[in-house]
Amino acid sequence: MANEVNMDPLALWRDWVANSERQWNSFLNNAMATDEFSQTMGRMMDVYLNVQKQMNEVMGRYLQLINVPTRNDILAVGERLSQIEERLISIEDGVKAAGRAAATAAAPTNGAAPAARPARTRKPAKS
Amino acid sequence: MTAPAPEITVEQRVRQAIDRTIQRSIKGLEYISTGDPAVGLTPKDTLFQKGTLKLYHYRAQTDDVYRVPVMLVMSLVSKPYILDLTPGQSLVEFLVQKGFDVYMIDWGVPRPEDSRLRLEDYVLDFIPDCAERVLKDSGEDELSIVGYCMGGQLATMYASLHPDGPMKNLACFTTPVDANGMVLFRQWTDRRYFDVDRVVDTLGNVPPELLYASFDMLKPAARVAKNIQLWDNLWNDEFVKSYRMFDRWAADQIPFPGETFRQVTKDMMWDNKFVKNEMEIGGKRVDLGNIKKPFLHVVAEHDHIVPYEAAKPLVPMVGSEDKKEVMLKGGHVSLVAGGNAIFRLWPQLESWLGERSV
Repeated sequence: MANEVNMDPLALWRDWVANSERQWNSFLNNAMATDEFSQTMGRMMDVYLNVQKQMNEVMGRYLQLINVPTRNDILAVGERLSQIEERLISIEDGVKAAGRAAATAAAPTNGAAPAARPARTRKPAKS
Repeated sequence: MTAPAPEITVEQRVRQAIDRTIQRSIKGLEYISTGDPAVGLTPKDTLFQKGTLKLYHYRAQTDDVYRVPVMLVMSLVSKPYILDLTPGQSLVEFLVQKGFDVYMIDWGVPRPEDSRLRLEDYVLDFIPDCAERVLKDSGEDELSIVGYCMGGQLATMYASLHPDGPMKNLACFTTPVDANGMVLFRQWTDRRYFDVDRVVDTLGNVPPELLYASFDMLKPAARVAKNIQLWDNLWNDEFVKSYRMFDRWAADQIPFPGETFRQVTKDMMWDNKFVKNEMEIGGKRVDLGNIKKPFLHVVAEHDHIVPYEAAKPLVPMVGSEDKKEVMLKGGHVSLVAGGNAIFRLWPQLESWLGERSV
């Protein structure tokens, strides 16, 4: 049976893939855990941020020129919308609370539960 | 003792190989032509919404539930459906079916204006607010909190700063506290080469592509190996389904709120303040020794994102008498979701939480 398994070329190939992955990960992780790698990454990030900043500035100026809202304008509108949303939520909360209070006051006093919620009486099963 | 596997003749093996090759071709086409699998299907209601934050309440599926409700706190770097993948592979569904009253904080996808959110907002505002709403909704005066990865950090900070709060139990999964244990992340954010101020000032929120690339770089050869593994198992519907769900989740990264990223980088990665009990949130010191409630920390043996060295100090630092660390086989994600989690983490959590939820 063991020989049978060893004869499976796909099993050998799978082992090889798994081992190769492990070795490559370990090799690359060692390479990435060096100061040189971090320094290179830092430089790449600098370039990316410079490009991003330039793009933002150029695009902002261009959009202003053709009288179209810039990203910052849209963000400002988004922020105001968020504030409105928060106020709406607090109003909604207030209305809900008032509704609940009214429902409790109007509920029949026969001891019936107002909503079908499960009882909170569960105990862990004894092992 | 396992039964011996039936002998397979060479002829059967050849037949199987041909059959699987045919299946791979057919299912390979299916794989390309079908959409993403549906996730997060456990029935729920949105109890509260504020900005991108949503507090979900999962509908009970049992006649009675444990007295103490459970609130799940997710990480800020990924979407919460990893805890509710698909029926049969969902931690949320499991807990609901075991009789827990489950709530979850979904932070949502940060908007550009959320770049100014700081840890203070999460720890001193959002989590206490959600906890209060859970108590109000459930009619109870205490709750259990379960945090995954960075969600565990937020939950421990909350617990430390609210020692007299309503939290009854705290369970964390793979929660890092010691940046020295996160060798690669620490190296990549080295203050000599990584200008976090410039990153946040220029970009606002940290783009998801950047986060995705950094997680990918922790196991650089894994992507190629995974694709080979997928091809090898294309004939296996269960494998493909599971692969697609995990792959979707891993690629479904969200932006990281800029100011929080600045704080995490400086205080946690550079100065390693969390493990020294020197973190300050809103002017208050986060001392993990203040946590006196029952505490469980589950870590994964092969976690490449939060290596054990980074998570190890958490339990000794917590001040509870009833505290426990459990190490389980698996990786950062397979600890909480997927076939193995069903037999490893979930029953452990059920039994630990169950006896403390009455």
